[in-house]
Amino acid sequence: MTGAITLIRIVRAAFYGTLAVISAAALIGVGMFFIAVRDLPRVPEPLSRIIETPPTEIFAATGERLMIIGGREVIPLSDVSTHFIQAILATEDHRFWEHHGVDKLRTIKAILVTLFQPGRIEGASTITQQLSKNLFFSFKRSYMRKFRELLVAIQIESRYSKGEILEAYLNQISMGVGANGIEQAARTFFGKPASELTLAQSALLAGLPKSPTRYNPYLHLDRAKERQRVVLSRMEAVGYITNYQAQSAFQDELTPQPPSKAARTGSYFLDLVIKSLEERYGPEVVYHGGLKVITTIDPQLQSMAEESLRDGLQGLDRRVGIDEVIGRGVGSGVARPQGALVTVEVNSGSIKAMVGGRSYVETEFNRAIENNRLPGSSFKPFLYYTAFEKLDLNPATVFVDRPVTIPVRGAPDWEPDNFGLKHEGPMILKQALMKSVNSIAAQLVEQTGPDELIATARRCGITSKLDSVYSVALGTSGVSPLEMASAFACFANGGIRHEPFWIWRVEDALGRVLEEHIVSGERALDVSITYQMVDLMRGVVDEGTGSVIRRMGFTLPAAGKTGTTDGYYDAWFTGFTPTLCTSVWVGYDRGQGLRDTRGTGITGGRAAAPIWADFMRKATEGDPPREFMIPPHIQFKMVDPITGTEATIYTPHPIRVALRQGQEIQEHTVGEEGLSDPEAGAMPSYGLEF
Amino acid sequence: MDFSEPQNFREWASRVFALRPLVLILLIFGIVISELRFDWAEQVLGAYLVTTNTQRPESGSIWEVGHRTVTARQTLEQLITDRQSTQREARGADTFTQIVSSLPPGQGVMLSSEHFRRLYLALPGTLAQEVVAPFELLRLLSDGRWVRTYLENEDYGLKIYLLNNENRVLRDLRIPTQLLYQIERVELALQGTLDDLPTFESRVYPAERFFRALNSLPHEDLGSVISQPEKLLGIDGRIVRVGISDEAVSGYIELGFEIEDGTRRKVILLKGREWAVWMLRSYLEEMGQDTQKSSGSEEIGDQG
Repeated sequence: MTGAITLIRIVRAAFYGTLAVISAAALIGVGMFFIAVRDLPRVPEPLSRIIETPPTEIFAATGERLMIIGGREVIPLSDVSTHFIQAILATEDHRFWEHHGVDKLRTIKAILVTLFQPGRIEGASTITQQLSKNLFFSFKRSYMRKFRELLVAIQIESRYSKGEILEAYLNQISMGVGANGIEQAARTFFGKPASELTLAQSALLAGLPKSPTRYNPYLHLDRAKERQRVVLSRMEAVGYITNYQAQSAFQDELTPQPPSKAARTGSYFLDLVIKSLEERYGPEVVYHGGLKVITTIDPQLQSMAEESLRDGLQGLDRRVGIDEVIGRGVGSGVARPQGALVTVEVNSGSIKAMVGGRSYVETEFNRAIENNRLPGSSFKPFLYYTAFEKLDLNPATVFVDRPVTIPVRGAPDWEPDNFGLKHEGPMILKQALMKSVNSIAAQLVEQTGPDELIATARRCGITSKLDSVYSVALGTSGVSPLEMASAFACFANGGIRHEPFWIWRVEDALGRVLEEHIVSGERALDVSITYQMVDLMRGVVDEGTGSVIRRMGFTLPAAGKTGTTDGYYDAWFTGFTPTLCTSVWVGYDRGQGLRDTRGTGITGGRAAAPIWADFMRKATEGDPPREFMIPPHIQFKMVDPITGTEATIYTPHPIRVALRQGQEIQEHTVGEEGLSDPEAGAMPSYGLEF
Repeated sequence: MDFSEPQNFREWASRVFALRPLVLILLIFGIVISELRFDWAEQVLGAYLVTTNTQRPESGSIWEVGHRTVTARQTLEQLITDRQSTQREARGADTFTQIVSSLPPGQGVMLSSEHFRRLYLALPGTLAQEVVAPFELLRLLSDGRWVRTYLENEDYGLKIYLLNNENRVLRDLRIPTQLLYQIERVELALQGTLDDLPTFESRVYPAERFFRALNSLPHEDLGSVISQPEKLLGIDGRIVRVGISDEAVSGYIELGFEIEDGTRRKVILLKGREWAVWMLRSYLEEMGQDTQKSSGSEEIGDQG
């Protein structure tokens, strides 16, 4: 009897105790409610307003969408695969259709786990609560934040239908790699719309919201598959699928498609576009204004450029002896050669392809525009043009390749060496450019003066700082590949200069034009002298330092110039066809020259020209041969490359030169061969100093 | 209230199973079960929150994004509005000077090729020739590629690009500030008198005297002073005064013919060869002196 009374006493105490706790909790709840409700955020009406931010879309010149900034691809619930809806509900909130924003049983369980199992936190957020958190709250954990989130979830449930809530949730959910919302995620990972997701794909995607980074299928496919297994078992437990379906879905081989251009934020060109948009319109307009930006890029050429540079640099890795395994360990401190490639359309200046380095993921530094590297001999065309224009020289003018010493006021004499440290005696200027003879370039710049040369480079569009010293003729002031491509395009275009540009048109979300590019060129160089330069640079490609291009099978008419700097720090090739002008730079980012395993330096002709040839071969595949436009009054003559006299049938290896109106070459006379000896001292040619 | 603990089980049982505690327990259970079953608490709370929604702040991440979107839209709208109003004003312009005045420095406007032609045709013949030769426009028109024209207000005047449908420039033209000034003067002259044109200030002559002097010139030189007399013949009204500009440009001097047409006055500007106009001017000056002399001698005679 006494025992029963004791029991009754205990029950009574428990009852009143529970009542007291519930009352206290209710009081605290009411108190918290009045505190929380004061600055509870307003819920937008209608709920779809949350996804109204229009995205800024960036398109290629071909119309293909390259990138979406901000905004979301909103789709109605009916356009989402049932598999995915079931997968996300089973995983995140299987009582979604039953509760009113709060899953009380799960919440009580979570509270008990949190209270009685220290260190373990169990989540109980419903889809509505997750939506509430994603829309209004930070990820900072606090009881008050959680309580507010709960109140907003309750309000959302009271105001909107389950379908509206689920649709909003699915359209804003973050799946990683820049994919926001199920439609973007489905297109990013599987290249299909959300309506076509299979069970296996749905299960994989439904596992991502828990931790998009941890389960990123691109980086951790094994983890993503494990998570997929969890999702499938949840679906089975809830009764959406059978065990057999779960098993077979798990066994389906899933290979996410490579990151598409739309999902890839890593693009040097897109960085450039976004940066210029930000400068013109401000970040807010770019990220929230819903612009439509039509760029100049050609996706096909771009992927060819990326491929050619990647292949070329991999070949270079082998040549310089960087083992692939070590090479992969970027973090281990092994530096690998870098590169950049830019292509501009000759008759407009539009950038058709741009690669700023071997991998955007490794480094976002855009070497195509931000890297000012010494161009070396690839700067010589500006010098030769200046000499032709200011000194009235022509490609058949003879100079002597000899040691030169040029006095410099207030500084030591300048004594430039040739690449091979050898001198070949007299030769015509075309031959000198084809062989990239430094001593002759030095003689030319001594006569023109560096300022005239710099003025020519400026006319062509070189904007970087150029030092007014003689050595500028040998490319000792840094320039970017974009500048070089744009400046050489001026030669390719008969002396008409086009400013390089990368945005054709910008519209607002309603299609109203904010800006559009007008392709206007202006004459920067004389058309006839320019053609003479083109002819000289054709010699470089056909038979000179860039002849690797022909050996690699590029047969279309092309011209260009190689460049290599002292110590092999920079290797360049900039060249053009009548339609495209491409500049390639290769080198280490800092402190290292390009040398092969035997210690031999790697020149522009060996490192950059092959990349150029590979790219241009692909880029112009199927194009008919198109000759450079020959201006009126240009005449061609075959000349002796040593004496500059008109070639006869006895002249070994004659060279064709282009001459302007009024320019004459020396007639060949019997016995003139003897004059090719520089010591003979009677050569009637310009610039000879015996 | 006097509360004493029951002393035996019967008393306990009678107290526990009394109506009041049973009702309390049932009530509590009823509340809890109905809440679990019908979510009425959430519904009440939700309904309350819905009613107070509009009074709450627009805070939280989605609102911040929304505010940025609104700002972005406003900025864009402003840009578009400015652009459109400039475009509208420029598209309504009938003359190049109106376009220049409607365009802020550095800004441009896109016009159709037809509109440009209208503007061009509104120019006086000699000035139009200086902008671009009509045959050049005819060539471009017959070519069929010229579809749009972009005009840009630059420091040195008006830059004009004749464009194809890919926005590539087929021909670019420049109207320097000086030429624009001349065009403006012509337009001004068309609606005013010689007194509105400062370059004629010191050399305005009665029409009768001007033509008398003109007739004194050798017949073969007349065409060098007025190369297109039919332009003057074709106008309505009567020439009342003629002005000679004090500026010679490229071997030509401008002549202004003030026309009286009812109550309206207007000026027609023509150009004459510099040497011929100088010759004419010397005649005019002589005639002026003769007039002064004759009037002076008359005065002397009167006094005598």
